Amino acid sequence: MKNDHNKNAEHNKDTTIGILDSRFNQTLRNVQGLLKGRSIPGKILLSPRVDPLDNSNLSSPTYIRSSPYSDPGTSDRTSETVEEEVHSTSKPFGIPNENKLKISTSHVERPSEEVQKSSMGARATDSARVMKFTKVLSGTMVVIEKLRELAWSGVPDYMRPTVWRLLLGYAPPNSDRREGVLRRKRLEYLDCVSQYYDIPDTERSDDEINMLRQIVVDCPRTVPDVSFFQQQQVQKSLERILYTWAIRHPASGYVQGINDLVTPFLVVFLSEHLEGSIDNWSMSDLSSDKISNVEADCYWCLSKLLDGMQDHYTFAQPGIQRLVFKLKELVSRIDDPVSSHMEQQGLEFLQFAFRWFNCLLIREIPFHLVARLWDTYLAEGDALPDFLVYIFTSFLLTWSDKLQKLDFQELVMFLQHLPTKNWTHQELEMVLSRAFMWHSMFNNCPSHLAN
Amino acid sequence: MAVADAFDEQCDYLFKAVLIGDSGVGKSNLISRFAIDEFRFDSKPTIGVEFAYRNIKVRDKLIKAQIWDTAGQERFRAITSSYYRGALGAMLVYDITKRATFVNVSKWLHELREFGGEDMVVVLVGNKSDLGPSREVETEEGKGFAETEGLCFMETSALQNMNVDEAFLEMITKIHDIISQKSLETKMNGTALSVPGGKEIHIADEVTATKQVNCCS
Repeated sequence: MKNDHNKNAEHNKDTTIGILDSRFNQTLRNVQGLLKGRSIPGKILLSPRVDPLDNSNLSSPTYIRSSPYSDPGTSDRTSETVEEEVHSTSKPFGIPNENKLKISTSHVERPSEEVQKSSMGARATDSARVMKFTKVLSGTMVVIEKLRELAWSGVPDYMRPTVWRLLLGYAPPNSDRREGVLRRKRLEYLDCVSQYYDIPDTERSDDEINMLRQIVVDCPRTVPDVSFFQQQQVQKSLERILYTWAIRHPASGYVQGINDLVTPFLVVFLSEHLEGSIDNWSMSDLSSDKISNVEADCYWCLSKLLDGMQDHYTFAQPGIQRLVFKLKELVSRIDDPVSSHMEQQGLEFLQFAFRWFNCLLIREIPFHLVARLWDTYLAEGDALPDFLVYIFTSFLLTWSDKLQKLDFQELVMFLQHLPTKNWTHQELEMVLSRAFMWHSMFNNCPSHLAN
Repeated sequence: MAVADAFDEQCDYLFKAVLIGDSGVGKSNLISRFAIDEFRFDSKPTIGVEFAYRNIKVRDKLIKAQIWDTAGQERFRAITSSYYRGALGAMLVYDITKRATFVNVSKWLHELREFGGEDMVVVLVGNKSDLGPSREVETEEGKGFAETEGLCFMETSALQNMNVDEAFLEMITKIHDIISQKSLETKMNGTALSVPGGKEIHIADEVTATKQVNCCS
């Protein structure tokens, strides 16, 4: 009897999980269909309508979505109004409905139509997006919040240097002041280099000598799979940036992995001066003035980025430990089977996710996708550390099915060498849109799905 | 799990070991040479801890060697030192072409003894023996230090695949011998349990220690 009872309980639990799963997957499909081939605005509200857990609703979970994009006039992000409904049923969209009037029809296609139109739609959106960027950037006073929303979904390559400088608060939003500020900051960097870096070792403390030695060991090992980084001058630039940064941030000093974090900045700011593919770039084509300006921009942007994550690199790295814990929690709420399996196998999140946080995923995806990922990072601004948890959850659960089939050793090996080598923007966008969706669901509604 | 290979079913022991030493001495390449016979010129600094394993046969026993490759930089010590605890063996690596990495060996040893178990097998490894012309640490120096401290010693080249397997095998064989010795003692003491004495607590400890390392019990 007791056994039977247990079995029933077990069965019920399975069913409940099954229902939640299928609801969830359905939601996911809907959102994916919705987002396919177009940009994801920065702050869409996406929250579940409170539906009773009822089988009849399984095939059509309904989500409420508000988009500041299609409705630039309002900034009611916290508004609870229903602006768009997404159904997986054949209910046609575009039926007059007061709630939907604010939405342009391009946002409310069914997934099936979406597939057919996505390629054309994407191009159209692209040129429209470029225009939006141009508009935001051309004002005397750039509205940073607007820029964040746009940048979240990716920045056109040629605008990226300008946009990143603005998002990080390195360049001032006021275009009249911009050039002067940058000039001053670049001079300041030069001063720092001559004060701290260009001195004989006899003027350094033992700790400083050790730190410089560590940096010198690591620079040649930075993104070694991209040949550009093997150039002597590139490594020297890295060395100067990292050492100067480390000296000026004594609480953490240089920590391995920070070398990886400079590389997206270096590539993006160099792209203003070097043409074509990175494989054909040569640092010797640049004047020393240009190189030092690029270095300065990297230095200041790295500083700004890490200001928000100082305790990620201090003793015992408490910031990273905290986020790894949050990652574990979120994964268990979103994908209980994966989370239980990992626990059964004795796998600890710290064993694989530590590097993710320490290097912000640079090590885990092809280098040519990193800049796109960082568009979203930098658009998140101060909220980045918490949002990383969502991105990394989404990244991990890309392999949800696979993970459940692996034992401890296979899990660790798999997670250390994830099969992302052939990833394109598409896979990355998927990770980001799922992260975005989960963030919207869980962040404002902590108990959702947590029964 | 369905994917577990036949070796898993049959293996007699699971040994955990750590790889420690200064940054850039070649720890990651030693392990990849041992585990998958690969050497990478473009290896990146290890962040936190990475993992590799190899199944091998030692004295008729099938052994799964799990090896945790740790980051060399001091800042990661809080993360990496927690791996010392369950480890039965440690490979302490320095670079024969960089004196500073040899000088730091005593610092690493101190840490192993602080966090690691009493019976931990430690192998001192002078890596990059292929770079003879730039040598800064003589073989005799390494050997001498190892003798004083009671460590095994070997010079290796992960690049040329010199002594790499030997170094790992030495460590694993030593661990195996210690474990067998222990379980033998336990058995013998077990039959002698009728003799009362303070030794019994010790016996219990050893039984647990043996069980922990046996992955298939």
